[in-house]
Amino acid sequence: MKPAPFGYVRPAEVGDAVAELVRADQEGGGKVLAGGQSLMPVLAMRLGRPATLVDITRIAELQQVQVADGELRIGAAVRQRRIERDFGGVVPLLSRALPWIGHREIRSRGTVCGSLAHADPSSELPAVATCLGATLDVIGPYGKRSVPAAEFFTAAMTTVLAPVELVASVRVPLPSSGSGFGFAEVARRHGDFALAGVAVSVTSREGVPRSAVVTAFGVSDKPQRRDLTRQVVAAVNAVGPAPEALTSQLVAATEELADEVVTTEGDSSGSPAYRRRLISALGARELARAFNSSMERSTR
Amino acid sequence: MSTLHRLKQTVSTRIQQRPVTQAATSRIAPDETVPVNFTVNGRPATVHVAPRVTLSDALRDHLGLTGTHIGCEHGVCGMCTVLVDGDAARACLLLACQLDSAEIMTVEGLGKPEDLHPLQASFGKHHALQCGFCTPGQLMSAYDLLDKDPGIGRDELPEQLSGVLCRCTGYRNIVDAVAEVAETHPNGLPAPRNCAATELLPRASVGGPSRSAVGVDEVDLEGIAEIRMPQAEPTVSIAVHQQVRAEPQQLWSVMSDTERLARCLPGAELVVDFGNDRYKGRVQVALGPVKLAFLGDIHVVERDETTHTIRALVQAADASSGNVQAEVVVAVDAAGSGSAVRADARVHMTGRIAQFGRSLASDVSKDMFGQFTAALDAMARGEEPAEVKPPSALAMTLRIPAARVRALLNRIRGRN
Repeated sequence: MKPAPFGYVRPAEVGDAVAELVRADQEGGGKVLAGGQSLMPVLAMRLGRPATLVDITRIAELQQVQVADGELRIGAAVRQRRIERDFGGVVPLLSRALPWIGHREIRSRGTVCGSLAHADPSSELPAVATCLGATLDVIGPYGKRSVPAAEFFTAAMTTVLAPVELVASVRVPLPSSGSGFGFAEVARRHGDFALAGVAVSVTSREGVPRSAVVTAFGVSDKPQRRDLTRQVVAAVNAVGPAPEALTSQLVAATEELADEVVTTEGDSSGSPAYRRRLISALGARELARAFNSSMERSTR
Repeated sequence: MSTLHRLKQTVSTRIQQRPVTQAATSRIAPDETVPVNFTVNGRPATVHVAPRVTLSDALRDHLGLTGTHIGCEHGVCGMCTVLVDGDAARACLLLACQLDSAEIMTVEGLGKPEDLHPLQASFGKHHALQCGFCTPGQLMSAYDLLDKDPGIGRDELPEQLSGVLCRCTGYRNIVDAVAEVAETHPNGLPAPRNCAATELLPRASVGGPSRSAVGVDEVDLEGIAEIRMPQAEPTVSIAVHQQVRAEPQQLWSVMSDTERLARCLPGAELVVDFGNDRYKGRVQVALGPVKLAFLGDIHVVERDETTHTIRALVQAADASSGNVQAEVVVAVDAAGSGSAVRADARVHMTGRIAQFGRSLASDVSKDMFGQFTAALDAMARGEEPAEVKPPSALAMTLRIPAARVRALLNRIRGRN
């Protein structure tokens, strides 16, 4: 399990990193190395054999984390564990999702932007970014562009990124008052990739749901974001906010959602029917929780 | 697709506009080997690696720190868990060349056999291991956990310790062991017991396995670096006192001639004399199937004719088994009709040889000093010592209790 030989280059500036990617693209293919926690296994198993790795981890500009203009901006070299440790609670949904990523030892090195760029359909952060409407700042030889998360992921492990581009940072909106979040997934054991999972965001005012969004992951080739505001309003009107009753009431809606978003084939870990059941059960439960926490946050 | 197409068209023109600022960019070709400097267990270390060499391989193959085990080599099992800049990480998912100036801590830094870290002691107490293969990874993961979150509750441990697999199904005992340390040290985990707190020595860089440490053509003729001894307790301390027939002045005539003195040490040879009492030399040690060839630097720092004392510092490396540093004092006094030779040595070992265990290392070292003293006596009295050759397997096994050699052989077999 040793990687095939590759060249290594570690630029000190973003512009140099892009120039190196361009150069590598013309000389056998390059790949950005940030945390390497997804890339290194690929190299070790020789599923990928890039000619050059462009290590962006020492670029000072990409190591920045900022809270400004209603956003949490996370640079491409920022590791997941740093966000977990130093920015816990700033974006509650992110804080909920981070502990599910691999293990502590993986999050020590793995980067937030790296997870997004890798775009594994069963990974957590693409779902979080999609659910919250995050924006990815992409830098390439022509300059910069901003890509909404909803447009960034195109298929399994495929994004709109060109081989000569890199994600420089991701901007995640800070929560407004009256917002609540839910996150849950089921995996064979902690740290494994999810069989199915949901990221949920709900806003409410004076006990009335204003918006409710569910993003399902692990069940198709990319995160699936759906607006369930109408269904949540109806369920709250019917049974009130109590979590257990609301969960039961929402199951019909989330079953419908599951039928729509679960497109993955079955495997030894779970049939499509099982994955639909997970999305339905987790979705209803997390919607009810998110609605309840949104009311707590709005009354404060 | 249109974006990609647009990019491809703009690429060629942009390259000229944005040349790479070479000064700030590190570049390593696929087949190129570069030195990487980092700190391992508080001590500076240098490895010469190609880009694809992982940290786990660098630690094991280049620095002889085989406490870091390799299991799956793609980030699943956690056997290779070490601390990188204070946080636990999989050594198999990191490239050594990424880590220059990083601070790495391996299980070797956690404690010593005679001074275990509380986590190690607790693993022993709770029988938190069966085959032991995952133990270094478990220890380093647990260290990271309790270091950051000393008061963590027992309920959280199974999930928090799930990053390292145990295939002997020993998790209950592992959780017990870690829980006890968390309970007994709620305000902070004790520091590691075998990490040098300060910079200790300019360690001779250790090449990869392909680099022989014996070939004369590879000897660095630039001279030797300043040898500074570690401040930690030595691996082995040896004090040999032996009565010999030669008179002190006769012995001193040999001792003051480094070349003749070197010929008294079994298996030793001076390779280069740099002047100023600095030498490059090598020593071969054969112990059953174990054959070590140390090439290293010698600096005689003190020659006192009035007390008939010489003091030397030695720093040597065997290509695959590790490093030895020693401070050696040999002193001669008149005693009876001849002399008393006193040899004291403080020997520091790192890498695989350190695993031979104190008693065996001490036996081998004492034996070599015994032979040295006998040869010194013979040469001082005008007899040439027997032809210089490495201590043979036969000679060593006769002098060292057979059980210890067997234990060593078992240990070596167990590790291959």
